Amino acid sequence: MRPALALLQRILGFVIVFFGVTFVIYFAVFSLPGDPIRALAGDRAIPQGVIDALHAQYRLDQPLWQQYSAYIGGLFHGDFGIDFRGRPVGEQMLARWPVTIALALTAWGIEVVLGVAIGVISALRKGTVIDKSLLALTVLASCIPVFVLGAVAQLVFGVSLGWLPVAGVSDGWPISYILPAAVIAVFGLAAVSRLVRSSVIESLGSDYVRTARAKGLGEPRVVGVHVMRNSLIPASTFLATDLGYLLGGTVIIEGIFNLPGVGNLLFSAIRSHEGATVVGVSTALILIFLITTIVVDALHAVLDPRSRLG
Amino acid sequence: MKLSVKASFGIAAATMLVLAGCTATSDPATDDDVILRVAIAEPDRLVPANHFSSYEVLTAIFTSLTGLDEDGQLEYLQAESVESDDAVTWTITLRDGWTFHNGDPVTAQSYVDAWNYAAYAPNAQVNGGQLKNVVGYSELSPVDGSEPTATELSGLSVVDDLTFTVELQSPDRQYPFQLTQGQTGLYPLPAEALEDLDAYNSHPIGNGPFMLADDWTPSQEIETVVYEDYAGEEPTIGGVTFVPYLDTTIAYTDALAGEVDIVAISGDQVTRAEEDFGDNFYALDAPGVDLLGFPSDDPRFSDKRVRQAISMAIDREAINDAIYGGRQIPATSLTSPSMPGDPAGVCGEYCEFNPEAAQELLAEAGGFEGPMELLFIGGWGQEDLFAAYANQIRQNLGIEDVVATPAPDFAAFTERVANGDVSGPFRARWGALYPSQQDTLHSLYTAEGDGNFGTGGYSNPEVDALLAEADAAETLEESYEGYRAVQERILEDFPVVPTFGNRYLYVTSERVTDLYSISGSPLLSRVEVSA
Repeated sequence: MRPALALLQRILGFVIVFFGVTFVIYFAVFSLPGDPIRALAGDRAIPQGVIDALHAQYRLDQPLWQQYSAYIGGLFHGDFGIDFRGRPVGEQMLARWPVTIALALTAWGIEVVLGVAIGVISALRKGTVIDKSLLALTVLASCIPVFVLGAVAQLVFGVSLGWLPVAGVSDGWPISYILPAAVIAVFGLAAVSRLVRSSVIESLGSDYVRTARAKGLGEPRVVGVHVMRNSLIPASTFLATDLGYLLGGTVIIEGIFNLPGVGNLLFSAIRSHEGATVVGVSTALILIFLITTIVVDALHAVLDPRSRLG
Repeated sequence: MKLSVKASFGIAAATMLVLAGCTATSDPATDDDVILRVAIAEPDRLVPANHFSSYEVLTAIFTSLTGLDEDGQLEYLQAESVESDDAVTWTITLRDGWTFHNGDPVTAQSYVDAWNYAAYAPNAQVNGGQLKNVVGYSELSPVDGSEPTATELSGLSVVDDLTFTVELQSPDRQYPFQLTQGQTGLYPLPAEALEDLDAYNSHPIGNGPFMLADDWTPSQEIETVVYEDYAGEEPTIGGVTFVPYLDTTIAYTDALAGEVDIVAISGDQVTRAEEDFGDNFYALDAPGVDLLGFPSDDPRFSDKRVRQAISMAIDREAINDAIYGGRQIPATSLTSPSMPGDPAGVCGEYCEFNPEAAQELLAEAGGFEGPMELLFIGGWGQEDLFAAYANQIRQNLGIEDVVATPAPDFAAFTERVANGDVSGPFRARWGALYPSQQDTLHSLYTAEGDGNFGTGGYSNPEVDALLAEADAAETLEESYEGYRAVQERILEDFPVVPTFGNRYLYVTSERVTDLYSISGSPLLSRVEVSA
C-alpha cells in the first residue's frame, strides 16, 4: 500500500509542478511589455493587415487564459507550437538537444575524472604542498566568472595556440566540445574534489581499511577497491545532481561558444518574447531536474543500503 | 545594423582548406575554389518578402532588377531596362535567358505573382509594404487592417514573357533605385515557391549568382555554391558559407583565429579592430542615420528652440572620437552623407556644437523644468553613447536631472514610445533600403512612413508637397535640389536631433583583398580574394 501511495504522491507532485511551472512561465512571457511582432520589425513598421494576420496566427490577439489553454491543449497532442520563424518548436528542440546533451556529458565526464583524481591525490597526500596547491587551484578557478574563463580559453587555445576551434560545433564531438566542456567542468571541480578528498580520508582511517591492510593487501587494491567504493557515495549523489544542473545550466556557455543547444534557443526565445519556445524549453528542463532528482534518490539507495532503512 | 545574436559554428582552418575544395593539393588554387565564410546573425526566414534579418543570404542567392555600380550609378542587373515617360507607369523589361536555380526561366510572371502574393495582407508577408506605392495596394492591404477587397495589384500587368508594367500611385523618378538589392520584397519567385512557401523556405531558389548546396537547417551553417547557369556577371569566388553567430564578439574572436572571413562588427569594437586587423578592417559608408526623437505629447519639448538647444549641446565630434574611434559621421543633414545628393551642411549651426548659443536658445524658450530621461535599448552597445548624451545635455544646458535609461528590449522600447511614456529624447534610426534620399525622408517625416514613429509622429503637409515635387523631378540633379528643399523645410520645424551618419564596420581574413560593397554592405559576388 505504501509504495503505491508514494508513487501516487510523486505523480501528483509532477502534475502540480507541470501546470504551475508552465503557467507561471507562460504568464511571465505574456506580461513582458510590448508587442513582439512589432518588435520583430524593428524600426521599419509592417503593414497593419500583416500585423493582424500574425497576431491571429500566434493567438497574440487572445487573452492569456485562451492562449495558455490552447497551448496546453496542443501539448497533449504533442504539438509544442510554432515559433516566430514559422517553425515547429518541438522540431527545434529535437534538433538542439543533442548539442546540449553532448556538452553536458562531456563536461560531466571531465568533472568526474579530474574531480575524483584530484580528490584521491589530495587525500593520499593530505596536508602536503600538493594537497594545498590543488585546493588553492580548484577554488581559485571556480571563482573566475564563467564568461571571463571562457573568453580567456578561446583566446589562448583558439586564437594564440590554434589547438581547438574558438566556437561552434562544426568540427563535431569531441573537438568542438572540449573547450566549452572544460570551462564548465572547472566550476564543479572544487566541490567534487573536496567531497572525494574528505570521504577518502575518512575511509582511510576506518576499521575495514586497517583490516584490509592487515591482511596484506597492496596499497593500490586497498585504495582502488575498498576505499573508493565507500567514499564515492557522497560524491556520486553530488555528481548526479550536477548532471541535471549541467543540462539546464549551459545557457551562458552555449552563448560564449556559439553552440546551437537548447540554452541558446531559450536565450533567443526570451529576447523575442516567444512564449511557445520559452515554455517548451523550460518545461523540458524542469522535467530533467525532476527526473534526475528521482534517479539520484534511487542511486543513493543502491549505493548506500543504510538510506533504504528510513 | 547591429549583427544580433544566434547560434553557430567555428571551424578549424583545416576544414576551411577542405571546403576550399581542390582535390589535387599540388594545383594552385584559383579564385573559383575559394569558398568565403561569412558571419551572419541566424536568419529568420529565407523567403525574400517575408524576412526581417536574412539580407546577407538573400542578396547572395537573388539578383535584383537593378543595382549600383562602383561609381554609385544605377546599373541594370536582372532588368534590361526600367523606363517611363511620365514617371507613373514604368515598363520593366527583363534580360532574356536568365533562370532560377531550378532551371525555370525568370519571367514577368515570376515578378507579378510574387508581388501580388507579397502585397496581400492575409499572406502576412512582412516586407509586402515595399509595394505600397503601386496602384491597388490599398485594396490588398488596407491601412486600417480591414478585409482586403482584391487579391491582385491592379497596377501590375504582364505585357509578354519578359515585360511587365507597374503603375505607381504618384509620379516617382526614383523608382529604378527602389528596385536595387535592399528591397527584397521585390525579388521574383519561381512558380513552385508559391505552391508551398514552407517547403521553399527550407530550400530557397533564387535567380542569383549563388545557390544553396543543401536544404537549410536552422542554426546550422548555410552553404552556397556558384550557380553554374547564372546568366549575370560571374562571381569572383566559388561560393559562400554563411555561419550563424549568437554574438558579434564570438564572430570577432573567430575571425582572429582565421576561422571566418567576413564579420560585421559593432561600433564599440572599432578601436580593437583597427589594431587587430589593420588593412582588413573596413568602415563602409552606409545609408543609415541615427537620430534622437522627441515625445510629441510632452509640452516641454513643443518649442523647437528646446530641441535645437539639445542638438547644439551635443558635441558629436567628441562623442565620435571617444566612442566610435572617429568612424561614424557627425550629422549635418537628415540623410546619410553617402546618399546621392545628400545636402551636407543643410542643418547648419543647429547641428554644430555650441554650448553658449544652446543655453541662450533654451533660455529664450523659457528653460526646461523637471527630469529628462533619455530612452534607448539596452544590450545594443549604446550604453556609453547615451550616457555621453545625458552628460553633455546636463552640463552644457545646465539641466540638473538628466538620465539615460535603457529599455530591456526593442518591444519594451516601442511600447514606451508608443504610449508616450517617455520624458526625453529617445533613440531613433533609419537604415535606408535603397540609395535615394527619398527612402529616409518619406519613411521618417511623413505620416504614412514606416519609420514615422521614430520622429514622434512628425508630418507636415508642406513637406509632403515638396517631397512629391522632388520625387517627380525629371533629372537626378533636379531631384537633389528637390530633396534639399524638403530637408530645409523639415529642419525649419526641427522635429528631431540628427546625430550620426552611419558607417558599417567589417573585419575580414587575409584571404579577402578587397571587400567590394554597395551602400555599406559587401556584395559577395564581387569580393576580391587571394587564393
